[in-house]
Amino acid sequence: MILTILAAASLTNVFPAIDRRERYSFGGSNALAAQIRQGAPADVFASANTALPQQLYRARLVEKPVVFTHNALTLIVPKSNPAHIRSVADLRRKGVKLVVAAPGVPVGDYTRTVLRRLHRTGVLRNVVSEENDVRDVLAKVALGEADAGFVYRTDARTVRGKVRTLSLPRRAQPRVAYAVAVVRGGHAAAARRWMQRLLGKAAQAKLRAAGFLPRR
Amino acid sequence: MIRRLLVFGATATALAFLVLPVVAIFARVPPGRLFAQLGNGAVVDAIRVSAETSAAAQALVLVLGTPAAVVLARRFPGRGLLVGLVELPLVLPPAVAGIGLFAAFGRFGLLHTSIPFTRLAVVLAVAFVSGPLYVRAAIAAFEGVDPNVVAASRTLGAGPTRTFFRVVLPLARPGLAAGAALALARGLGEFGATIMFAGSLRGVTETLPLAVYSEFNVDFDTALAISALLVALSAALLLALKWRPSLSTSRFRFAASS
Repeated sequence: MILTILAAASLTNVFPAIDRRERYSFGGSNALAAQIRQGAPADVFASANTALPQQLYRARLVEKPVVFTHNALTLIVPKSNPAHIRSVADLRRKGVKLVVAAPGVPVGDYTRTVLRRLHRTGVLRNVVSEENDVRDVLAKVALGEADAGFVYRTDARTVRGKVRTLSLPRRAQPRVAYAVAVVRGGHAAAARRWMQRLLGKAAQAKLRAAGFLPRR
Repeated sequence: MIRRLLVFGATATALAFLVLPVVAIFARVPPGRLFAQLGNGAVVDAIRVSAETSAAAQALVLVLGTPAAVVLARRFPGRGLLVGLVELPLVLPPAVAGIGLFAAFGRFGLLHTSIPFTRLAVVLAVAFVSGPLYVRAAIAAFEGVDPNVVAASRTLGAGPTRTFFRVVLPLARPGLAAGAALALARGLGEFGATIMFAGSLRGVTETLPLAVYSEFNVDFDTALAISALLVALSAALLLALKWRPSLSTSRFRFAASS
């Protein structure tokens, strides 16, 4: 049986590498959660945070969510670095075109947490677009149309050669935990088996190879 | 008898299919909440952005599209090809339009501009998809002007400019108005090219359709309310389109035949 898996956009490359067989729909975790609330036929929901699966769990739309991996945020600039960005502080400069994800999108919320911790929320004045998922942010920076953007470290690795990554101070890193849950009303037994597989050794090794951080 | 039943069934199904989603929006939004949304900051910002960008795009389309339509309404070699090129954006998938705008006006595009992600980017995206609708209607309107009437105006001593503004333009007006209304309605609903080329930022580039999309991910009820507002706007445009030209055509038909 082929499962329908709704997964955070940042899992676009790694999930098919773990299991090519299933049917995936990648997008902003909040958009996927909205689809589940509207009754989208799905078997598994993998979110880039724990809050959204928890909300769906409380609404009895999914089974108990489990954390399966972690990630970290990074600042990216186009390879040519047209705005000469070297640190988060440089994002403040007038005319810098910063692209971030919208609030509510997990990476958008993490981005704002990072900026708050660095006392740099002022750079949000230079935001020219609020995107719907992390890959939209990545695309606009990789294309060179935006000067900088905040994405997960794992995303930056998928377009190596097109972007440069500027790592963030450790104290600014939010806790980025990914939770997976079986969607009620789907193929629950097969979905639970798939979830166990995701927590298993082979899948965890694939996640780490893609740059994701260990489950605990 | 059976044939009649089948035809009736098909018609009823088609009507229900087209009407139901629109009615359903209103069924789920009580009028009170619809007006309450007008106090929602994000909705107010989106209305403002939509109004300003639509107005600017419409001005651009009318000012550049009208002379283009006058020229394209004449017979000349290669005209078919030119008209086809003008109409092409109509059938392009919006995402392709977005990529095309980047390829042309992006920082690394042919023209190397800094337009992406600005208010102007919304205007260009809207004009790109709505312009062809207007130009197409305008070409037909100018083609429909009786050349004998134009010739008569000239023989009576009116210059080409005077003839255009006093004879051709009034005769073509119903067609132009219909094209303009269609273009405005299409522009108000523009989504795909805008979200790619202009991005989405509240108060700057987030138009009403973009607000519907981002609210859908957050709060379905707000998305419903904005949708209801857009339905009302579009319906108002359609009504204006249906009523006004019929009045003016009869007047101008009379003028033309006299």
